[in-house]
Amino acid sequence: MKKLVGRILSLVCCVFFLSCSEEQNFDQFDDVSLTPTLASGILYVETNEETINLIPAMSDVVRDEFEFDAFSEGVFADRVLEGALIYEVENTTSKQLEITLEFLGAGDIVLDTEVFQIDPEPTADLQRTVAYGSGGKSLEYLINTEKIRVTVNNQSDNTSVSTIANAILAFKLAGEFRVRVK
Amino acid sequence: MKIRIISIIALLGSFFCLQGQNKQILYDFNEIPQSLLTNPGIDIDYKWYAGVPLLSAPYFQFGSSGISVHDIFANDGVPIDDKIRTKAIDGMSKRDELSGFFQIEFINAGFKSKKNPDNFYSFGMYLEGNAIGYWFKDLADLAYYGNAGQLNRKFRLDHLKTTGELVNTFHFGVNKRLNKKLTIGVRAKLYSSIFNFRSTKNSGFFVTREGQNNILANTLVADMEFRTSGLIGIKDIVGDDAVSNSNLTSLLLKRAFFGGSLGVGADFGFTYRLNERTRITGSVLDFGFIYQNDDVRGYTLKGASTVEGVEIIEQNRTGNINADYWQDIIDDVEEQIPFEDANESYLTLRPIKVNGSIRHDFGKELEPKEDCACGVNTTSKLRATRYANSVGGQLYFITRPRGLQAAITAFYQKRFNNLALKATYTADKFTKTNIGLGMVFQAGPINFYLMADNLLAYQNIADTNYASFQLGLNIISWGKN
Repeated sequence: MKKLVGRILSLVCCVFFLSCSEEQNFDQFDDVSLTPTLASGILYVETNEETINLIPAMSDVVRDEFEFDAFSEGVFADRVLEGALIYEVENTTSKQLEITLEFLGAGDIVLDTEVFQIDPEPTADLQRTVAYGSGGKSLEYLINTEKIRVTVNNQSDNTSVSTIANAILAFKLAGEFRVRVK
Repeated sequence: MKIRIISIIALLGSFFCLQGQNKQILYDFNEIPQSLLTNPGIDIDYKWYAGVPLLSAPYFQFGSSGISVHDIFANDGVPIDDKIRTKAIDGMSKRDELSGFFQIEFINAGFKSKKNPDNFYSFGMYLEGNAIGYWFKDLADLAYYGNAGQLNRKFRLDHLKTTGELVNTFHFGVNKRLNKKLTIGVRAKLYSSIFNFRSTKNSGFFVTREGQNNILANTLVADMEFRTSGLIGIKDIVGDDAVSNSNLTSLLLKRAFFGGSLGVGADFGFTYRLNERTRITGSVLDFGFIYQNDDVRGYTLKGASTVEGVEIIEQNRTGNINADYWQDIIDDVEEQIPFEDANESYLTLRPIKVNGSIRHDFGKELEPKEDCACGVNTTSKLRATRYANSVGGQLYFITRPRGLQAAITAFYQKRFNNLALKATYTADKFTKTNIGLGMVFQAGPINFYLMADNLLAYQNIADTNYASFQLGLNIISWGKN
């Protein structure tokens, strides 16, 4: 019996002491990279033909300047790696329009500008993607943005009426940005 | 000292990272007194026993389904990002879990009634910690890949499910042989909670869709809660260097001895002999609850909101042209989905464990250990015969936040006069190759046992999805009280 107990205890000891683990490298954790790409709508501007016709021809029918801290918030500014702004413009009015989007920094300095020339209806929707970061514009334009100014200039008359019912100008802006979480 | 205490808590906490709580080797291993804790209705042939405090049954168990340490941290030259993506992000489902369990006995003793030798009483106190966290699949996908290119995919918030606790349990049990065939047992339990956390009742989703106006619209519908009891007091002490270590010790001790949230529960069990050599057993453990009312702190996130970005619709404008639209959006979201305190008391059910087994004894009849020379009034006539070999099967269930978890075990047991061995094969969600081995050695009154599980994993312990370990030391007497 003593021999048997001894053998079993030896076996158990062997199991534990000879148990092994392949080499692990926990320092790899430092190399973990977590960089999701986040997408969101950013700006939507709409005006209808009736409103445009209330304003003299060849003048700005929309001119908005507003605070915009989304890009300068630390959670974005400190982590963004690259990305793109995606524009879509839909015009069903009878007007030739020019849309200007300006990103303003401290002291209302213009950091970046996008201009869109839009033909009157019938016209296909305009789509434009502007890259920032590697291979694109500087991300600093966005990170330092404190305000956005959007201007819509009517380059036509203020009497014509579209053949499409409820004609509008819809200016859409969304963003997709890769950010470093870790 | 405080660092030491924190280290101990952290160490215990690390064992939390799992929980199956299946003690398939110990169950129905009647040569070990602690098997009473897995079935209060076992056949007992000793007069009394006493566990050696802290050494009678330290038990540790961990399990992770779907992934192992080796999968991520193996020094194999593969970039860790690739391993995380293939093994965790793409390789795990919401049913995969990381869970842990530990138990340390402080007191465990039992004795046979003088008046009625068919009655056996046991009592004790043990500290138990357990925690489980399910893989938050959708939230991990969102964090890893983001929502770009995931149009219309609902990232479900109910994938976040986690709960854990540290509880001191006081128990008193009665085991009674009703007749030659049937033994039953019941154990009353008082739970003294040290801390608890729970976030299991979450619902809602995050989705990115084509906007009604804009290109994209992000929608969050949330009904989430995270409740804690006892954690804030510990955190305050641990985080305050000016507070002495004794404050933490006294806080933990106070809560361990009925100074925190309290609860009650019970275990039930039986052994029924179908014939001389075959018997079935069953037990229900921790049928009870704890009312969490001490140092309660909770948080909720409830509501719904959709954001398409800043919207300027000229024909509808009435407000300030230079308004801070972005801040307005943030304010609206915070109003629609408020993050609020929820400090009400709450009830937690204990994880109920159910065991069942059938065993067949064979081989030669062993010499009984019960003292049969002390008269008809002190020794039961209902004593069961011991045989050299047993073979059988066991079933195990436990209630978890995502429903029942089950395990099935086949076992073989070999008994000598002073030695018993039990080998098990178990299949459950963690592994299908779990071979365990238990040994109990009786040297006079000294009862020493050792059990380990998933032995094949010891070839590469880092690659295991499950492991448990238990050893213990008891004093057993078959003599008079």
